[in-house]
Amino acid sequence: MRRFRAGAALAAAVLAAAGCGLGDAGPQGTAQGGAPSAAVTGEVKGKVTLQTWALKPKFTDYVQGVIDAFQKRYPGVTVEWLDQPGDGYSDKVLSQAASGTLPDVTNLPPDFALPLVKQGMLLDVAQADPKISDEYVAGGVEAYTYAGQQGVYGYPWYLNTDVNYWNSELMAKYGLDVKKPPTTFDELVAQARIMKEKSGGKVYLMSRRPELGDLAEAGVELMSADGKRFTFNTPEAAALLDKYRDAYKEGLLPRDVLTDTYAGNAKLFDEGTAAWTTGGGNYITSLAVDNPSLAPKVVPSPDMGVPPLYVQGLSVSKQTKNPAAAVALARWVTSPENQAAFAHLVSIFPSTKASAGDPFFSRSDGTNAGDAKVIAFASLAKAKMLQPVVVTDAMSKFVRQQFALAISGEVPSKQALDTAAAKCDELLAG
Amino acid sequence: MTHRRWFTPWLLVAPAAVWLLVFNVWPSLNTLVLAFTNAKPLGGGHFTGLANFSRALDDDQLADALLNSVVFMLVCLPLLTMLPLLLAVLVEKRLPGITFFRTAFYTPVVASAVVVAIIWGWVLDDRGLVNGLAQRLGVIAEPVPFLTDRWLLLFSAISLTIWKGLGYYMIIYLSALGNVRRELHEAAAVDGAGPVRRFWSVTVPGVRNTMLLVSVLVSVSALRVFSELYVLSNGTGGPGGRDMSLVMLIQLYSRGFTGHLGYASALSLLLLVVTIGPMLLLLRLSRKAA
Repeated sequence: MRRFRAGAALAAAVLAAAGCGLGDAGPQGTAQGGAPSAAVTGEVKGKVTLQTWALKPKFTDYVQGVIDAFQKRYPGVTVEWLDQPGDGYSDKVLSQAASGTLPDVTNLPPDFALPLVKQGMLLDVAQADPKISDEYVAGGVEAYTYAGQQGVYGYPWYLNTDVNYWNSELMAKYGLDVKKPPTTFDELVAQARIMKEKSGGKVYLMSRRPELGDLAEAGVELMSADGKRFTFNTPEAAALLDKYRDAYKEGLLPRDVLTDTYAGNAKLFDEGTAAWTTGGGNYITSLAVDNPSLAPKVVPSPDMGVPPLYVQGLSVSKQTKNPAAAVALARWVTSPENQAAFAHLVSIFPSTKASAGDPFFSRSDGTNAGDAKVIAFASLAKAKMLQPVVVTDAMSKFVRQQFALAISGEVPSKQALDTAAAKCDELLAG
Repeated sequence: MTHRRWFTPWLLVAPAAVWLLVFNVWPSLNTLVLAFTNAKPLGGGHFTGLANFSRALDDDQLADALLNSVVFMLVCLPLLTMLPLLLAVLVEKRLPGITFFRTAFYTPVVASAVVVAIIWGWVLDDRGLVNGLAQRLGVIAEPVPFLTDRWLLLFSAISLTIWKGLGYYMIIYLSALGNVRRELHEAAAVDGAGPVRRFWSVTVPGVRNTMLLVSVLVSVSALRVFSELYVLSNGTGGPGGRDMSLVMLIQLYSRGFTGHLGYASALSLLLLVVTIGPMLLLLRLSRKAA
């Protein structure tokens, strides 16, 4: 009898725990979000919180100025600004979402916003603000629209893309002309070969392995049209991996590229072991601080294929107590004037159509940093979000692992792609 | 006359008990439940029976991770049980300057595992200290792929773990050696036993219980290895992710907005079972030996 009671008590404890583990985390209680938001009406007043991502202390004056101007424009509103550190931001947002303490306005890149959209935690700003598509560039708005979900779930804030950066000194030293950088992958391999031969293998031109975005850049469709299946295991993708495998075997890439992260490429470029890297339009400006002797030697050129589009945006919590004020704040921060002022401080690009004609972005001041800014701005016109927003960190990791196996020659490229696609499908299905 | 209230002991243990309930018992029970669900960090989940466990059976990476963890344990267990004992016997002697050696052997324990692993990464890198010196001396023509070969990476992490753990277990043995009666050594010496014989016949039986404790600690920590492999492989789990440990795999599945908490919990249960196994075996062996 005592044993039975103990068993029953354990079962009760387990069931109680089950209640904890399986609770519906959505504060709105919608199992699958997407319920249309009510149109935002009412007076702009009350307290709202604005959460940004690693903007303090570099841009404290700018952001505070924007907030002060907003509070002056709407005297009934008090804005509390929270800035989170760069590391662990996704974990922070996740804990806020799970505990129902998401700030009223939060800086969320599109892939962070998607799971919150699915849980019905974000406001459909297109309902609150029907003119959004007229005022913001299409790529920015599209980034916050998701397959299977009606609406737009963030105001595009600022955009960026990748530019190629070449170490002109190393290229000249090892027989390459920085004025004629590679424009295709085959040219890249050919020039990498020259650099390897002339430097005796001490300096590399190529020092990063491909990611899913590289397949997309090469024209491979990563997902099926309905977004339910990964389709990157194509012969074209296998052919690209084969080219990387051959280049790796030939010693055109550092051997530890297989276990290195992308930061490894930037590090090698920084220390003068690699002559090519990619980065945003503001890369040279950052480099001038970290490595002032290298920065003047860097020459930018456009991305070799379809440039990637990176979007940051501000989303509004559906839980906000002051939706009118929250929407007004998100609009205010992402307004053409405020975005342009931000872009004048750092090489990011406004997501508003009104800023497209600003000569500041299309005219270089003659420095290499200015050239990079112009190249990045021009590239934005054809830039696309190369990696689907449903790709999680775990998927990226599995893909990288399989690509590493293919490039090392341990498994055939097609087999590695098949394994990676199957694993991504499994993770996507949950 | 003192008056004792019935709730006084409960009051005294309450802070610790609450802490244990909230941060140990409750999460453990929750993990047990989640292992049978498809729970996600947002939106909860449903009971899926044994689905996570059947998925584990087909998981190639889990097989690799299990193999890595077992190899890790099998190599670390004898080395980290015996080497610190030998080291303790060496530094136990009261010689001039011996404190310096005791401190030097203990220093790696104080250092952060992550920092140490980063330094080892620099040392073992293709362009690192070891390869650079060996190439300069003409010992090797090509760099040894310490960090890019599956097994070399695993054994590099094992070497790091042993190097870092030596001092910690040495201190445990030093305190145990203090309890081995000096008269036994003297009697054995009078009977003609040399240092090696005395070590096996006096020292080892004298610290057998401590050896058991060290064995259990080593096997548990070896099966739960994370930092060393994670940092040496830059978080990638080595080429093809084949150098992942069980904990790395759990971390991979549990993180992020769409973390697979159900599967990660099932892997945690598996880790618990795998960890308890060697402990029970060691206890049984010890009882038999006693």
